[in-house]
Order: sequence, then structure tokens, then C-alpha cells
Amino acid sequence: MAKIQANTLSTLSVHRAMRRQVICLDQNKTIDHAINVIIKHKVNALLAVDSLRKPVGVVSKTDIMGAYYAGLPIDSPLEHIMISPPLFCQAEDSLETALEQMRAHKVYRLYVVDDVSGDLAGALAYPDIVGLLYQYCHKCEYSHLNPNKTAIRNGTVRRFKVRELMTSGVKSLSGHQPLSAVMEVLSAHRFGAMLITDEDGQPRGVLSKTDLALAYKHGVSPDVPAETIMQAPVHTCDADSLLEEAIHQMIISDIHRLFVHEANTDTIIGVLSLSDAARGRSGSCHGCVSSRIKIEDHI
Amino acid sequence: MKSTAASIMTTQFPTLLAETPLSAAINIFRESFKEHRRRLFGIMVIDKNQHLVGILSMYDILLYLRPKHIQVWGSMEDLEVNGLMDAAGSRIKSILVGDIMTPDVITIGPGVDVFMVLDIMIKKHVRRLPVVEDQRIIGIIYISDLFNYLLQRIGD
Repeated sequence: MAKIQANTLSTLSVHRAMRRQVICLDQNKTIDHAINVIIKHKVNALLAVDSLRKPVGVVSKTDIMGAYYAGLPIDSPLEHIMISPPLFCQAEDSLETALEQMRAHKVYRLYVVDDVSGDLAGALAYPDIVGLLYQYCHKCEYSHLNPNKTAIRNGTVRRFKVRELMTSGVKSLSGHQPLSAVMEVLSAHRFGAMLITDEDGQPRGVLSKTDLALAYKHGVSPDVPAETIMQAPVHTCDADSLLEEAIHQMIISDIHRLFVHEANTDTIIGVLSLSDAARGRSGSCHGCVSSRIKIEDHI
Repeated sequence: MKSTAASIMTTQFPTLLAETPLSAAINIFRESFKEHRRRLFGIMVIDKNQHLVGILSMYDILLYLRPKHIQVWGSMEDLEVNGLMDAAGSRIKSILVGDIMTPDVITIGPGVDVFMVLDIMIKKHVRRLPVVEDQRIIGIIYISDLFNYLLQRIGD
């Protein structure tokens, strides 16, 4: 069975993982409007289109954070902050090709066009690939998650642990630091969120680009301390927990990352995001290792 | 006599501010039946000058409550999923009405013919239309009221 799945995985095309609903907004609409759409649809970016609905650019939470940091009026049009042109792949491209394209351009999503008509057909982002692989893992008889597994293979298949795919060395900032300082670190390191600590260095909360976009929309000054808008508690997992369990937790709870601590301690030693999970490999154990999507570390 | 928007609009309606917390807005939806004797599925959002800035609809709230990766795990019947309602509840804590309302709202004047109202609702896929005169909201037409109005007048 594992062999069959290996073949399936190695031939997966983009259309299997992509989302068919593409969130678009006219390039003349405001940043304020874009934040509304991004929050409501829970996407990291939207496609900016012209008056003929032709895609002309991409506006991500990173671009919105940049506008907030730069003090741009929130009623500025999207065309002032969008990144042009959008990057496209084709629905029949292999996931490996698409991931390679993302890595080469240092982006986390591609828009998908139909191979024949050339029409916009969907959007493909890292978490969508993890989601597809999670479905495969869930069905696999080797899976720890599959309650119907017929064979017990504990010890026979080596499973990935969070420690192997997490990003080590988490940067954190004191809750007293202003939002602008958080934005500087997020921007310099291309992080999606930061750990916020108290005076003793203990984790207090998390501040993400989503929180910053909301702060921008709510008229919060970038000078306010991070602790005023951070989200608590911090979602964590054990470094030795299984990758499949960590992915399960993120997918079910609508969170994009887990901070990782050593067993029986509160010390945060790393972070695992859904993007890390997609970048690293395909499944969650060595059962289908031959199908692994080979992605070099793009950092 | 010409049937116009003014003749079928409701003039008693609650409003929200963009700064209202979403949790408070949800309470207004919940309580609307007691106060207005009708279930509300959309509430107009106004600014401090009483001008319309959006509508918070049931669909806006449902979109926000939808778990992001439901298409991945929603069909897995054997999956044990606990605490989803709590997670949805905690998600709305820092959200204000303006964060998820629909900001682009189609409005009509009070003198518009009811069949024009019908046409706009069908073409634009909307179930409620604010009635605005001189930038002031004077009423709202719900699709159910339009339907009932027509039922009463169409010959049997």
C-alpha cells in the first residue's frame, strides 16, 4: 500500500492541492478594504485586478505591514503597495515544479491558470500542499493518525519528529517594545510572527502579521507596546512530538505555527510553521520516502 | 398607484458602528427577534455622521467562522476534533464589525419601483437594500418583505 501511495504522491499535480476560490480585489480599492478581505477570508494575500478583472499584482500581509510601518494612509489604493506582476503556474504542473518556482522567487503562493484556456483557475500556497499531504497520511495504513490502521508498525517505520523540521533559535522581543520594533524584526527575517516575552524572558504571547494588519485597521499607533495587541496564550508543542500530530493541531485549530519547547521545560527552542512542513518533505514518516518532494532549504 | 421602495421598506432597524466588537454585534443578531419580532441576517453599519459605511451580514460572520483548512479534514469522519466551538469563539475576540463587514453596499432611493428593487436583488445577489435619501438612511428593504408584498398583490 505504501508503494502505491508513493507513486501517487510523486505524480501529484497542482490542481490537486490548489484552492479554487481566488480572493481578488480591484487595485483601486483601499488598503483598509484589503485588510477586511484578508481577515474575513483568512488568506495571507489577495490578487489585485484591474477594471477588466485582469490580475495585475499581489498584496500580502507583508506588504500591508510595510505600509503600516511606513505610515502610509490606510485609504491608499492597493496599486501603491502591490507587488507586480503576480506569479503563475499551470494546473497540470507537478507540485515539485510549483514548489521549485516558489523557492526560486522566494514567494509562498502562486496563482494557477488553466493549461488550455489560460483562465485563472485557483491559488496554491504552502499550507494547501501540507493539507493535501495530510490527507494522504491520514489514509495511510502506516499513519499514526489513522484509527483504522490494520497493522501495527510501531518501531518499523521511522516517523518525523517536530525537532527535525522546526526552525531553531527563535527570535523574541519584550512585550514593552513598540510594534514598530516587532515589524522591523519580522521584515528583516521574513517571519510571519514573533514570540513576545516578559522581563524574565518567559513567553507571554505571539504577535503576527495578522495582528499588525488589524492594528493598522483599528488606527493603533506603531508606537504602542507589543503586549497591548499580542495574542495569548502561546500555542506550543514538544520537540519530540510527531510531525503528523503537530500538523494535525495546526490544521484543526486554524493556526499557522507552533512554538517548540524541550520536553518538560518551558524553554522555547524553535518554531514549526505549516510552511516549514511543506518545505521539508511530503508525508510524516519514511513510509513513502521515495515520493518525497525535494525542496532545498530556501533560506 | 406606483409601488415604490418607500412602500415596502422597514423603518425600524438596528445599526452598528464599525468600531463595535463583533461579539456585541452577534448579541444584537441573537436578540433581534425579541426586539424587532424578526430574525435579522444583515445589519447596516454607520459612521458617527449616521452615513452608511457597510453591512454586516450573516455571510460575513459565517465566512469568518469557517475553519481555514476545513476542506482538508472536514470529510474525515473518523477524526477526533475537540474544542472547535471554543476555537471559533476565541477567534472573534479581537475582531470589530468593520474588520469583516461588506464595505461595498448597493443602495436605492425611496422612489424606486418595487420591480426595480426585485431586479437589483436578483442581479446583485443581495437580500437587503438600504434606502438612502440625501445621504441619510431612511429604511431597509428585506427580500422577504418584497416577496410578501408581491404575494399579496399577485392575482390568484
